[in-house]
Parts: sequence; C-alpha cells; structure tokens
Amino acid sequence: MYKTEILVVGGGPAGLAAALAAAEQGAEVTLADRNSDLGGQLVKQTHMFFGSKGQYASERGISIAKILKEKAAATGKIRILTGATVTGYYEDKKVTIEAGDKFFPVEPQRVIFATGAQENTLIFPGCDLPGIYGAGAVQTLMNLHGVKPGNRVAMVGAGNIGVIVSYQLLQAGVEVAAIIEAAPRIGGYYVHAAKVRRLGVPILTSHTVIKAHGNHCLEKITIAELDEKRQVMAGSERDLEVDVLCVSVGLSPLAELLFQAGCRMGYVPELGGFVPFRDDCLETSVAGIYVAGDAAGIGEASAAMVQGRIAGLAAAASLGYGKDTFLEKVTEAGRELTGLHGGPTGEKIRTGLAKLTLLAKEAV
Amino acid sequence: MQKTADAVIIGGGVHGCAIAYHLARKGWQNIVLLEKNYLASGATGRSAAGIRHQFGTEINILLSAANVRRMEKLAEELDYPEGIELLQKGYLMLAYSAAQLEQFKVNTLLQKKLDPANTTVILDRTEIKEIVPGLNLEGVAGASYNPRDGHANPFHVTQAFARAARRLGVQIHTRTEVSGIEKTANRISGILTYRGDRISTPIVVCAAGAYGKQLGEMVGVDIPVYPERHQILVTEPLEMFLWCMVISLTHGTYFKQTPHGSILMGVGDPDHEVKDFNEQSSWQFLQDVARKITFHMPALQNAKVVRQWAGLYDITPDAQGIVGETEVDGFYLDLGWSGHGFQLAPVIGQIMAEIISGEKPLIDVECLSLRRFTENRLIPEPYCV
Amino acid sequence: MRIEKHPILEFQKGAKIKFLFDGRELEGYAGEPVAAALHAAGVRVLSHSHSHNRPRGFWCAIGHCSSCNMRVNGVPNIRVCIEPLAEGMVVETQKGRGRLDV
Repeated sequence: MYKTEILVVGGGPAGLAAALAAAEQGAEVTLADRNSDLGGQLVKQTHMFFGSKGQYASERGISIAKILKEKAAATGKIRILTGATVTGYYEDKKVTIEAGDKFFPVEPQRVIFATGAQENTLIFPGCDLPGIYGAGAVQTLMNLHGVKPGNRVAMVGAGNIGVIVSYQLLQAGVEVAAIIEAAPRIGGYYVHAAKVRRLGVPILTSHTVIKAHGNHCLEKITIAELDEKRQVMAGSERDLEVDVLCVSVGLSPLAELLFQAGCRMGYVPELGGFVPFRDDCLETSVAGIYVAGDAAGIGEASAAMVQGRIAGLAAAASLGYGKDTFLEKVTEAGRELTGLHGGPTGEKIRTGLAKLTLLAKEAV
Repeated sequence: MQKTADAVIIGGGVHGCAIAYHLARKGWQNIVLLEKNYLASGATGRSAAGIRHQFGTEINILLSAANVRRMEKLAEELDYPEGIELLQKGYLMLAYSAAQLEQFKVNTLLQKKLDPANTTVILDRTEIKEIVPGLNLEGVAGASYNPRDGHANPFHVTQAFARAARRLGVQIHTRTEVSGIEKTANRISGILTYRGDRISTPIVVCAAGAYGKQLGEMVGVDIPVYPERHQILVTEPLEMFLWCMVISLTHGTYFKQTPHGSILMGVGDPDHEVKDFNEQSSWQFLQDVARKITFHMPALQNAKVVRQWAGLYDITPDAQGIVGETEVDGFYLDLGWSGHGFQLAPVIGQIMAEIISGEKPLIDVECLSLRRFTENRLIPEPYCV
Repeated sequence: MRIEKHPILEFQKGAKIKFLFDGRELEGYAGEPVAAALHAAGVRVLSHSHSHNRPRGFWCAIGHCSSCNMRVNGVPNIRVCIEPLAEGMVVETQKGRGRLDV
C-alpha cells in the first residue's frame, strides 16, 4: 500500500503552497494532480498579480507556477504524481488514484483537498453551439497552446476573469466585439477594465445574451438590455456577429471529494456554491481533512496560496512537525489572508465567510 | 397525518408500493404507506433490477413466470406513460463445467414442466458468441438462456406503483420512520412514527427489507433476516452492444447494459462483504469487480468507470423471501428476498393483497411462510448471485 | 488560427506531426491536446449530444466536462481537450454515446 503522511489533492496555487509549507516544516508529502503538469490555472495567467511581496505580487501567474514548482522540487520531501486523478475517498480513509493504466489506493494520515473549481455555464437558446466556450477554456487554448479561439469574440461577464481574458484575447490578436454584463456595474478590477476600454472594447452593463445562432457553429448572438429588475427590455434586442462567445459567469468549487469524504457542507452563493465548514486552520468537520483554494470558496489565486500555506502548516503541526514555529507562521499567514480579504473587493468573500460561519453554528 | 387506517405498510420500496396498489385496487379505502427515506431509496433503487424466468426452485419458477407476464404490460396497466425501461433481451447464465451445464438442463426441464410457455434454452459456445459478441469463452461449457428475461428501471417501476396507488387513494408518507408498533393482546392495534404520529390500525405489513428484523422485534416476532452489503460499479454510457444480462454463478458475477448505455456490474462476495447496515462503497470492490468483469468481457477495459454504489440484500437462511402472516394477528411480512426481490414485486404485491383480504392467493406461497424456519422446511434457491 | 506573435508568451512546440481526423490528414504538434490541433485546423464540432444529436465543441478545456468526447485510436469517449496528440493518431467523431469495439 502506498503510504504518505500528507496527501495534497490538486497542484494549483493552493495545493502547491500547501505541499510546500508542510514539506518545509519537515512532513513527508505526496502531491497528486490530474494534469500532466503542476500549476493549475496559474500556467495560463499572463497578467501580473496584485497583493504583497509574500504573495508573489507583480509576478505573472505563469512565473509563479514556475517558482512554486522549483521550490517544491527543492524540498526533496514532496513526491509529485502528475497525470494522477484522485477518484475517491473511502470509508476506510483510503484515497484512490488513477494514473495512466494504474489504479491504486493510498493511505494518507492527512489530506488537503485543493481541487479548485469549474466554470459556470449560462443557459439560453443555442448555448451549446460549438464556439461558445468557458472563458478559462479560451485562456487555456490561447495562452497554453497558442491557438486562437476564433476571429471575433464576445465576452459574457465583466468580472475579473472576463476583463482579463478580454485583454489577453486582444494580445493574441483576436477582435473583441463587446463585453456583456448583466449587472449594472463592472465587477472586475478597475485597472483591467480600463485597459480593455482604452483599446476600444465596449463594456455593455445591464445587458445579457438571449440567443445564439449558427448552423453547426456559432455565427451570431442576440443581446438585449436589462431593466433594474433584470428583465429584458422590449425592443432592445440586437445582433452581434461573432464566431466565439466566452462565458465568464463565475466558478463553482469542485466539492465532490469533500462530499464523499463526509465533510459537512454549506451552500453559500458568495463563495460559489457548496463549501465545507472549517476552522481557522482550514480543517473540515472530518478530522485530518483540510481544504484550501477555490474548493474552500471561490477567490483569488493569491488568497488560495495563503490558504494552502495555512492548511499545510496545520496538517504538518498535527503530525508533530514544526510545532515551535507553527504559531508564528500561521498567525502571519492569517494576517495576510485578512489583508487580501480586506477592502471593497473582499466584501463578497467576507460576507460569504460570515454566512458560512453562521451555517456551521446552526448545523451543530 | 390521519389518526386511523385500515392497513399500514412499512417500506416505500417496490414491494411496499406494489402491496399498497393491489390493496387499493381491491377496494381498501384507507391505506397508509410509511417510508423512512424516499421511494426506492433502499434496496429497490440500488438493485441491478433483473427480471427472469430462470430459477431453480418450483416456487420461484411459478412466481417469476407469472411475474414476467405482468412486467410486460405493467406500464400500460398502471397508466405510466414514462415506461419502465423494460428491456427483454435475455439472461445468459454461464456454465463453467459439464456438471453445472447438466444442472441447468435439469432446471430448464423443471421450468418447462411448471410453465409450458417457458422459453429457456441451452446454448453451446457458438450460440453464446452470437448473442454476446466479445464474451470470453475461456472455461465456458455452455449456457442457459431465456430471451424473455431482461431488466427494468427500478425507480420507474416503484413510481408507477406509487402513482397508481395514490390515484386510488393510498396515502404515502416519505421521510417518516416507524418508531413503534403496538399490539393489544395478540393483535396489531397501532403504529408510531418518529414524527410523533400515532395511527390506529388493525394491520401492519412489513416490507422493509433487512430493517424488518428490528420492526418484528417491536411486536415480538423473530424474523431471521440480516443485511448484507452488495455493490455495483457503473461505467460511462456507451452505444448499446450488450443486450442481455450475463451471469456466472461460478464467479458470482453479473453485468448488463441499461438503456441509458451504462454498464452495471456486480459480484456477490458474501465472505468479504459487511453484514450490517453500511451502505458505503469500497475501493476493494471496485478493483475486484473490474478485474472479474474484464475477464468475462475484455473490451470493457476501454470503458471508463463513472461511479459505484452499494445496497443491502435482505438475506434469509435459504435465500428465499418471507411472505404472509405471522403469529401476531394483523402483522404480515413481505421481505427477505435475498437479492432477487425487485422482479417479483408485481406478483407478490398481488398475492399479499389477496392474503390480507382473506382470499385464495394467485399462487400458493405457504412454502415461503415464516413458519418454515421453525418447521425446518428450507427451500434453498441455487440461482442467486 | 495559431498565434504567430505574442507580446508575452513564447510557445514551445513539439515536433510537427500528422494525424487522421475522420479520414482526413491533418497536421499538429506532438504533445499538444488533440482539441487544440483540431481547433487550429478549423475543426470546432467535436461531438454530438446523445438525444438530439446537436453539435458540440469543447467547453472547459481542462478535462472536466466531457463535451469534447471523441474516438481516439478506436477507444470511445476520449476527452480530446487533454489528450496529447501523437504521430499517426486516428481521431474520429463518434456517434452518440460512443461505440465500444467488442
């Protein structure tokens, strides 16, 4: 039987940071990721990060992924399994992994789930036509594989991902016809939004897509303006000729393994959906199971890395590693997290976390 | 909830719902069904839902023959437009030795004797290959096959009965667990629920599977039934290529393809399976069943697993159901089917209603009575996985 | 449809190789996802919905949604958005739920 002290599921920013923190404290770690390379969604983030130096601010996501991977390798305490999908968490506390032609159980003493998120879909007539893609998917196609998604794109959603990917589309030489946002205001960071606007991309707030047209692939969309009750205003419909529609309407935590492990969960829209109840050290209601990153609630990669660090430190400390430095390190990380969740941009997350705390209390 | 009932049925599986429907059809006015979870949430919904003629004991041959005929017209009879996804493309029971094949021949003769319309045939290896291309014939001596056997969707069958029962006035309460059964002298007088209800009733029908043992204890009736976990592994949906259910009694294995396209596979492993109310899946089962079924059908190595589930068989000492009255007046049983209960629900539902109404049942099921255990009249069913 | 020049990124590509798509010879780079190679060649319809046979392309590009299931080297339901392209690969549009060769 494959045994490991700490199994980290998911090698994105949260998982890498968790593995790194636990290994630096002296724990022996296995990091499993279903992709062929570590880094999660960082590997396609060409923009520079905000935050402070501790969270790799002013670095591009692609560089952060590289730095974290190199650091992980340097510890000599992390066994990395790529192309390894964690398929289940079973009643005997074994975790199963499928890797290529192999399927095997793993016996971990602690598990940190950093499984990330998936993109939400938007339902309207014709929404399944080829050419309608997740914004993250387009980012992958473009920034990782160097392929343009099409010639003329419309973006749904003016949140961070929506405006950032729009800018990246322009960088790749793709025309962006418009950014369509149902809310009356732009949700993404102002600097990113201002950049795409300067490049001539209209951001249509209080607008939505009502229909997609095309024979086999997307050829045209119909958009319309929304009133204050978010109902379509009659007569405001108009067509946009585009061959790609990027959908950027939020993410949902990948919570299947947490559910299967029996973690108590709460539904919090501000955090993206079902997320596990957890303590300050991100330990869930099942002792020995921790969560970090988008799986703990949709947020920024910077916060995901700090959460990963906290979970990694705590999991290691619970096994007796780094007890003398734990308090100091985890307090510092907690301070950083509070900072990242501060200000007006952190309001949604703060509300979500408060709701989750309340749900957990009610559930007891 | 009503305070009185003419009969209360415990268990919202396919048997409970079938009994409720048949009682109501007979004109019973005030029938209540209590289900602690949701309809078909227990063994019914977790079964592989096979329907077959091929059994090895007289009683099961008689019951199943009558039952397949009911299943064929069930959606129409119950006015259930969704259909029950009945796929009658046969059950293939593989024999791995000359002696086993000989036994299949004997059983086939018995089936034909008791049911002249029976269409079970014995197949040689070439014929097997035609029916199930891709089957590994290593060690196979022959097979017993009935083209009218098949499988259905257990959720649809249960809903079909439940909906028809409701139309006839049956009150079905889900999420309502029984907390006690009352008797006065030696007669059923009422039933209590964890919701705090009490229903006054002269009749309680226990169709609660393996949970029947504890319910029997509430009125002092000893029911020799215990739970045994069985598991199923499910693949991604694929275009139909496996039309019949394949069973190997030798390996304890079976597999089928649902109309949705998924392959469902299971393996009976009484030595390793837990015998309590645990309904969790295990990775050991996943490995074991994948290994065994890809031996039978090597091409399945390229089919991807999407999920697995577990459910409880309600096992009795002879792997046969327990049907009919008990030593407590008004306390009736329909449970203990040990893994082949789903398919017999329509006909047993009818028989239970007849017994409770004091009529002569369609098929005499005295041999399945609770008394058989104390009178040492066990009738072991050999065709079980 | 390939990005020729990018202000930030340089794309390191594997060897240029040939593969078959529904009997047609196409070119791509070894190791890139099959879906990327198809998209670069202008192929956007990858699968069809099971009940209504509606055309489907990829959606998530990270192997999560199964919208890009195709038949690759005779095996059905391969998620081509994460399947690395190899020389001589036979990629086919599958019918409905995918046929398992038995």
